[in-house]
Amino acid sequence: MTWKARLHRLRMFLRRDPDADLSDELRFHIDMEAAALERGGMPADRARDEARRRLGGFDRYTEELRDVRGGRSLDALRQDARYALRVARRFPAFTLIVVATLAIAIGACTAIFSVINSVLLQSLPFPHPEQIVTLNAQNPDRSNPRFAVSYADYLDWRRSTRSFSDMGVFTGTAPTLLGTDEPERLAGIAVSPSFFDMLGVRAAKGRLFGPEDAIGETSESVVLTDGFWRRRFAADPNIVGQRLPFNGRARVVIGVLPPSFALDGRPIDVATVFAPSSIANVENHGQHTLIALGRLKAGVTLAQAQQDLQAVAARLADTYPDIRGWSANVFRFSDELTRTVKGPLLVLMAAAGLVLLIGCINVANLLITRAAARGREVALRQALGASRWRLVSQLLVESTLLALIGGVLGIAVASLGTRLLLRLAPAGQLPTSIPIDARVLGFALAASLATSLIVGIAPALRGTRTWLSQTLRDGGRTSAGSAHAPRLRRVLVVAEMSLALVLLVCSTLVMQSLRRMLSIDPGFQASQVFTMRVAPSPRFIDTTLVAFYRQAVERIAARPGIQSVAAANSPPLRSSMRIPMRLIGRPAPTEAILSSAIAITPGYFRTMNMRLLRGHDVEWNSPAPTLVVSQTAAKQFWGTDDPIGKHIAFGQRDTVGLEVVGLVADARTRGLVADPEAVIYMSYVAALSVARSLTFVVRGTGDMASIVAAAKAGLREVDRNTPLFNIQSVTAIVDASVAQPRLNSFLLGVFAAIALLLASLGIYGVVSYSVAQRTQEIGVRMALGARSADVFGLILREGAALALVGAIVGIAGASMATKLIQSWLYGIDRGDLTTFVLTSAGLIVVSLAASYVPARRAASVDPLLAMRGE
Amino acid sequence: MHPNADVLQGTLDLLILKAASLDALHGWGLSQRIRQISKGVLEVNQGSLYPALHRLVKRGLLEASWGTSENNRRARFYKLTAAGRKQLASETATWRLFSGAVDAVLATQS
Repeated sequence: MTWKARLHRLRMFLRRDPDADLSDELRFHIDMEAAALERGGMPADRARDEARRRLGGFDRYTEELRDVRGGRSLDALRQDARYALRVARRFPAFTLIVVATLAIAIGACTAIFSVINSVLLQSLPFPHPEQIVTLNAQNPDRSNPRFAVSYADYLDWRRSTRSFSDMGVFTGTAPTLLGTDEPERLAGIAVSPSFFDMLGVRAAKGRLFGPEDAIGETSESVVLTDGFWRRRFAADPNIVGQRLPFNGRARVVIGVLPPSFALDGRPIDVATVFAPSSIANVENHGQHTLIALGRLKAGVTLAQAQQDLQAVAARLADTYPDIRGWSANVFRFSDELTRTVKGPLLVLMAAAGLVLLIGCINVANLLITRAAARGREVALRQALGASRWRLVSQLLVESTLLALIGGVLGIAVASLGTRLLLRLAPAGQLPTSIPIDARVLGFALAASLATSLIVGIAPALRGTRTWLSQTLRDGGRTSAGSAHAPRLRRVLVVAEMSLALVLLVCSTLVMQSLRRMLSIDPGFQASQVFTMRVAPSPRFIDTTLVAFYRQAVERIAARPGIQSVAAANSPPLRSSMRIPMRLIGRPAPTEAILSSAIAITPGYFRTMNMRLLRGHDVEWNSPAPTLVVSQTAAKQFWGTDDPIGKHIAFGQRDTVGLEVVGLVADARTRGLVADPEAVIYMSYVAALSVARSLTFVVRGTGDMASIVAAAKAGLREVDRNTPLFNIQSVTAIVDASVAQPRLNSFLLGVFAAIALLLASLGIYGVVSYSVAQRTQEIGVRMALGARSADVFGLILREGAALALVGAIVGIAGASMATKLIQSWLYGIDRGDLTTFVLTSAGLIVVSLAASYVPARRAASVDPLLAMRGE
Repeated sequence: MHPNADVLQGTLDLLILKAASLDALHGWGLSQRIRQISKGVLEVNQGSLYPALHRLVKRGLLEASWGTSENNRRARFYKLTAAGRKQLASETATWRLFSGAVDAVLATQS
């Protein structure tokens, strides 16, 4: 069947009145019967009534006939759907509240799910992605199981292991593309020659690296990513074969990668072949600088590969003294990519799920109320012969319709929500776009249907369990189920309250953690300092490289508006280098310590406003490179001894080491939250082999644009072909380091606010309903002398009691749920008493506020009116 | 009005089949025909008539089609199918057997 035909049938299905034929036939019958009665002498109008009576009730009749006629369920469904729409229109306020509640709740879930879908559920863009693993070194004290890999290790691993069909390494590069006015710094990777073959990536155009590129030092090939090819060359179809003027060396484009290609989320413009000689002391097994990937042989498990690799690594560690004690680890690549976001996402999904659950409870409560109000309608329909199943299914169709409308709107909410998320999320954590694809739509549909069942089944069963005579006699004011309904509703509201408290406690804890993080003193002054990275032209080596940086710093500092300039091998809070070192002059000086190190130029501490406690800064002109150590390092290495004048050696054979000339106050180096660690600030002169590309830190007056312009102008005086990139204010870096906690606390806060709102609506509903039910009782009380204030208190106490029970259950729940967010907390205990007390009190206050209106209504009941009945 | 008997449960189908076996007729006509032939003794409960008709159509014993009534109105006509004819024959035989047996029991002198 074509789409059109299907659509047509659907339309006919919805439009055709199945009762039309039937009504014609029955109408004919009535006409004939009435005519016959008239002929027998009955007056015309009486004859008609009599004929109708004999046929016995039109409606019930068509219902029964439909039962007989078959195709009943479909007809019934159609009828129910139309009836449900009619009901929805008849109670617009009710429908609006229900649909809005579900739209927000389903939307929240769907938004988080769409993130999970795009982050956790997408497979790597390689064939057999489950075979791709990361290979990591493991340092002796096992503090970091994901250490970078040395080229020498990689070669030995590749040769000696048997679990892998191939291995490859890559490292980030920052080539500069010349040929236009402004040199452009690119994001590159240098890969081992068979890297793409190992991954199973095929070129979209041209070819990827082959045998002729086996030696990185001589390979002139460059491969472009699809994005770079489109951006920079407007998808030029003749790109293959073109020469590109890279700084220091022209390269020939041999191919373009497919659009799907991605590694670990880093932006990539170009790929070249890795040249081992670009790493100093590359033959040294301890030179951990590369990222290694491997492909498992078919049928080899992760555990087998791990065992294989560890055995090989153990042999190597025994052979080479500079990696004594080192081991290796294998992780699945897909797991590694999502490792940091998986936990937070699942917790947020659980939080969104709680919101949906609370929304469901609220809607179920509303439906129960309405089912009670519709008791008379239900009883009438039963009296007219509708079976209970028929009524249940009709009520279920009604709740399904509401849930589906809520679901459709929820998708809209989710689409807005994901856009907001993308704006708030820390850079690099989420993909650039989060599509609402078939899987997300399926999730929203499933959530809606599950919701409709959860909210619909209890009211439907309860609402149709009626004892006819009683309901009709009561005038439909109370359905028979209503004797129990309040208890169920109370249980539901208590559940709602407790779930809301769980979210409240969690979000309050996370928010306080964020507040504490933001009040951390990083040990430096971030305002008015800007960072920009620089990749010096390859023509600068050794002494000329030092001269380049020295001149650049001096020229930039000479610009107007610039107060202070220095350079370091990593921006503030982004330090990642750890190098092995030995303390000279200790009784046992041989033991290697792995410590954080930052290479700096003179003036770094002044620019960052870090306090130099003793000694002096590193200098350009000192006879040998010098060191400055952090307070923590001094205490850790030498205890209370004066660190000035001590020596630290790097490398196996060095017995003299470099002299410590200064002691600087602790500063945060690995994000705002990580505690200050032992840091060795080494003069850049000693660290040439470790870092070619440094980051300037520039303190100046005026806005960012003018300071950056001054820095660019200063740098251009030294070298025209050196671009500045990764330009950021230090304030932004500080902000970014708490972006994830900020996002977590924002989302949890939103969820908790929604939950609290829904729960207070729930309390309001239950208390209002109870006031309506007890109007007569209240009237009697007042007639017997109760004052308005007594009644007011009575009703208020009812709300408070619900909240109190909810709070107690919620505290129990929260004390377990906070385990999930323990790793998000900073400076606050997950069982923090103040938080628990304050949030519980807040919950009770809110529910008292929600009970206030119905309590006032109860207090203003006129006893005479109330006792008279309605 | 004549004193009349409600049609016995189970015999309604038989009566309808018989009434429809003469020629195609609409629902009201069938009820009238049954009343006339039974001389007013058997009154089809009109509330059960249409469900029965639809049941028989669904079982393939009757065939329904829209036509024009004697007073020129659109009406639904019911006609016996071949299967209906066979069913009528077998149900007639069963009824005869049954009513004969009942007669015999009632005729016994006490």
